[in-house]
Amino acid sequence: MFGIYVHIPYCRTLCPYCDFVKERTGASAPAPFVDALLKEIDAFEGPDEAGSIFFGGGTPSLLEAGDLSRILDALARRFRMAGPEITTECNPDDITPDLVRAFQDCGVNRISLGVQSLDDRVLRYLGRRHDAASALRACDQVAAVFDTWNLDLIFGAPPIDAWPETLRGVRALDPPHVAAYGLTYEAGTPFERKKSEAVDDDTALRLYQDVEAALAEYAHYEISNFAKPGHEAKHNLVYWHNEGYAGFGTGAYSFVDGIRARNHVKTEDYLRAPGAKCESLALTVEEIKVETLIQHFRLREGLPRAGYAARFGVSLEADFGPVLAALQARGWLESTETNVRPTAEGFYLNNEIGLALVDA
Amino acid sequence: MEVRTEMNFPQSRIRNFCIIAHIDHGKSTLADRLLQITNTIEARNMQEQTLDTMDIERERGITIKSVAVRIQYTAKDGHEYRLHLIDTPGHVDFAYEVSRAMAACEGALLLVDAAQGVQAQTLANAYKAIDQDLEIVPVINKVDLPNADIEGTQLQIEEVIGLNSEHAVLASAKSGLGTIDVLEAVVHRMPPPHGLVDAPLRALIFDAKYDSYRGVVVYLRVVDGHLRVGQKIKMMVMNVKYEVTEVGCFTPSMVPCKTLNTGEVGYMICNIKTLKDTKVGDTVTDVNHPAMLPLPGYKEVKPVVFCGMYPAANSDYNDLRDALEKLQLNDASFEFIADSSDALGLGFRLGFLGLLHLEIIQERLEREHNLTLVTTMPNVAYRITYTDGREEIIQKASQMPPRSELASCEEPYIEADIMVPNEYLSAVIDLCKKKRGIHVRVDYVDNTRCMAVYQMPLAEIVIDFYDKLKTYTRGYGSLEYRLIGYRPGDLVKLDILLNGDAVDALSTIVHRNNAETVGRALAAKLKSLIPRQQFEVAIQAAIGNKVVVRETVKALRKNVTAKCYGGDITRKRKLLEKQKAGKKRMKQVGSVEVPQEAFMAMLRVNAETE
Repeated sequence: MFGIYVHIPYCRTLCPYCDFVKERTGASAPAPFVDALLKEIDAFEGPDEAGSIFFGGGTPSLLEAGDLSRILDALARRFRMAGPEITTECNPDDITPDLVRAFQDCGVNRISLGVQSLDDRVLRYLGRRHDAASALRACDQVAAVFDTWNLDLIFGAPPIDAWPETLRGVRALDPPHVAAYGLTYEAGTPFERKKSEAVDDDTALRLYQDVEAALAEYAHYEISNFAKPGHEAKHNLVYWHNEGYAGFGTGAYSFVDGIRARNHVKTEDYLRAPGAKCESLALTVEEIKVETLIQHFRLREGLPRAGYAARFGVSLEADFGPVLAALQARGWLESTETNVRPTAEGFYLNNEIGLALVDA
Repeated sequence: MEVRTEMNFPQSRIRNFCIIAHIDHGKSTLADRLLQITNTIEARNMQEQTLDTMDIERERGITIKSVAVRIQYTAKDGHEYRLHLIDTPGHVDFAYEVSRAMAACEGALLLVDAAQGVQAQTLANAYKAIDQDLEIVPVINKVDLPNADIEGTQLQIEEVIGLNSEHAVLASAKSGLGTIDVLEAVVHRMPPPHGLVDAPLRALIFDAKYDSYRGVVVYLRVVDGHLRVGQKIKMMVMNVKYEVTEVGCFTPSMVPCKTLNTGEVGYMICNIKTLKDTKVGDTVTDVNHPAMLPLPGYKEVKPVVFCGMYPAANSDYNDLRDALEKLQLNDASFEFIADSSDALGLGFRLGFLGLLHLEIIQERLEREHNLTLVTTMPNVAYRITYTDGREEIIQKASQMPPRSELASCEEPYIEADIMVPNEYLSAVIDLCKKKRGIHVRVDYVDNTRCMAVYQMPLAEIVIDFYDKLKTYTRGYGSLEYRLIGYRPGDLVKLDILLNGDAVDALSTIVHRNNAETVGRALAAKLKSLIPRQQFEVAIQAAIGNKVVVRETVKALRKNVTAKCYGGDITRKRKLLEKQKAGKKRMKQVGSVEVPQEAFMAMLRVNAETE
């Protein structure tokens, strides 16, 4: 499946841990940016068929419904799509019943809410502009309208003793999909200098296992993602299957014909030449193979041998036999009749699997 | 290039001189100015520190290999003079090279920083020059600095060194001020070479380098007689014979000529394949008309600091050996022998003149030969006497016999001259005490400064004493030292065990009184350096068979759960590749992956325990 990503690089306030491309704005996403997006979409060269659209950011909930509509229309002109998953990331404090309804009227059928925590102290540490109460309200309003939606969580932010209560709250909200990522202190963000506050890996493991326990009825289908049956994120599966995608908007990445390329990351550059690339990397087949394995081993189901052979014209065994055997011996991977997939420990130590795979 | 054919440049108009100075007093800059003002090098070809040709020299701002440049200078008296400027290394590790370079000169410019005054190396080098009977011309540099104290510096030169400084040349090498005065002083105050034109050839080797195209290039000073192309020559100490294929001088590029005459300085090439046959301090003579006696002062330079070097990947062993052999063509003053370690596999034991020398060799191996190395903690050589009376010099801790077989263990001592402003004396005394120093005396060199003389174990000096001294004295302290022989010490072997197995490459010899403290600090440091692995790693420090401390590196249980969407995919792969490269720099010791830095952890422990 081919996916479409649209990056809306505007935020009312900047979260100090975030390393996505974004800038502050006082109002909605500006019209010139939307015009540039439309231009970029019209001029896109690549596949004509797509199965998912994902509006990420930044803060896509800063899009006027009219603008969202124009963008979706442009995508519908450019791509053939049969019942695509259309997700929009939203900030809890942008959510109103009107906005939810308006987004649904535009064709959006999935909302991803950046809740992150249900504890005000944690939310303050993360520099979020919403509090727990507005997060709860937003979830209810989204759930009232959308059949499928996601709740984003971040674990490892202090005070960590707030974590069980947040998880209890999440269970009560009963979202169809939950994504829980560990807080990272990325270089180039204000959090970089707080790196020493990061939790150690024992604590990280405990917090992570808390999520697993709290969401035991969900399918833990990807390292950080939990879904009720039928609610897996189709768009994100494009990445985890290492399939192709178009990226529109400032700093967006695309992966088309083995070339991973990035749009200009500065708004003025992007506006001047929408779709022009600031980096472009033609991957070798070997690199694509390794990335395909690394990505699939983020998924509970792992990598189907038949799928690999169909995609690369060679058996998984012939390409990676010894290293996969070693990883199985370590207890990080296991073999089913059809697939090679990570074990529970393989989920915990996913990075070690990746390390074994690069220049295996 | 023009080949100089003039046979008889008058000996009376040759001057051979060097510049001696404390580190950072502006020696290289003054040399640059002399070359510039005499058009030896055109300004547009000028790089800072022209004489320092190795990258490492330029980056570190130090001179490792000495060079000798011919300068044509028409003096104010209207005569043309031929000056040979012999640049000398500036670091204590290379003291012998300095003394040989001086032996090739009649005069020395004693360069003193007007703001910093006479320092320990100024003094030590001045005394060396006085010993060699050189005519010393004091040059006070950086006189244009706002804090320059010309009179004070003059006074120090008089009182501390005992030289007449009335006619000291005032200069600013940086701005070029006084450069002509320096040249005039060289011409008029230094004597010409006094060698015998008709005597059998005697030429002093004061340096040599390996050139990959031409073999060994020998730097020499013709003391008596002549050296010419086609001559059959002999190195008197090494007793090897060659035929000269080329002689010439440095301008500073190599310019061939037919003959090097009495008193001249230049180079010789004669198909020498390895620097080992070319010993600094040796005398070159004519096979057919040999001199009776070699020139005095030859001394074999002996390494004093040792360490193990192992390829990070065992498969690179042969590459490391090749690299060491190539490097030794360039620098005969380090030694290496094949060695092996239970922990690190096959590698080499290397000997150096000092820690800086070690660092330079290590850096050149990694940089010029693209090797990834694991270097073990540097140590000195110990003299072991066994209970049966046998004596042995050991160069690594793992060779230390068990206590039952050990009658005594002696370690090399040095005497250090440490010059500091008076207000830092007590700090220096503290430092020396910590380093097991024995107070000899304190000389008050003038109103503001004194020189503390201490005897100390070399082991305490080689590691970080110089850095420490700089810290304790806010950069004002300066150091010079000489070996004074072996002395007994209460020394014990400190072992490190990883998961119960002693790791030979992590063993060190320490003084009994410090052993436990060092053991604890070392175990703690290793804990912070050894990354979490799939299983728990126990780190123990043991003295003899007694474990004094245990630290534990817990097993790795969780990687960071980070997002991995579109652009993250390639970034993730590249990050993994980088981590993988980092892992390759680690050494597998038993089942434990140990990073390179761990083998040098002692260095950091020393830095932190004080």
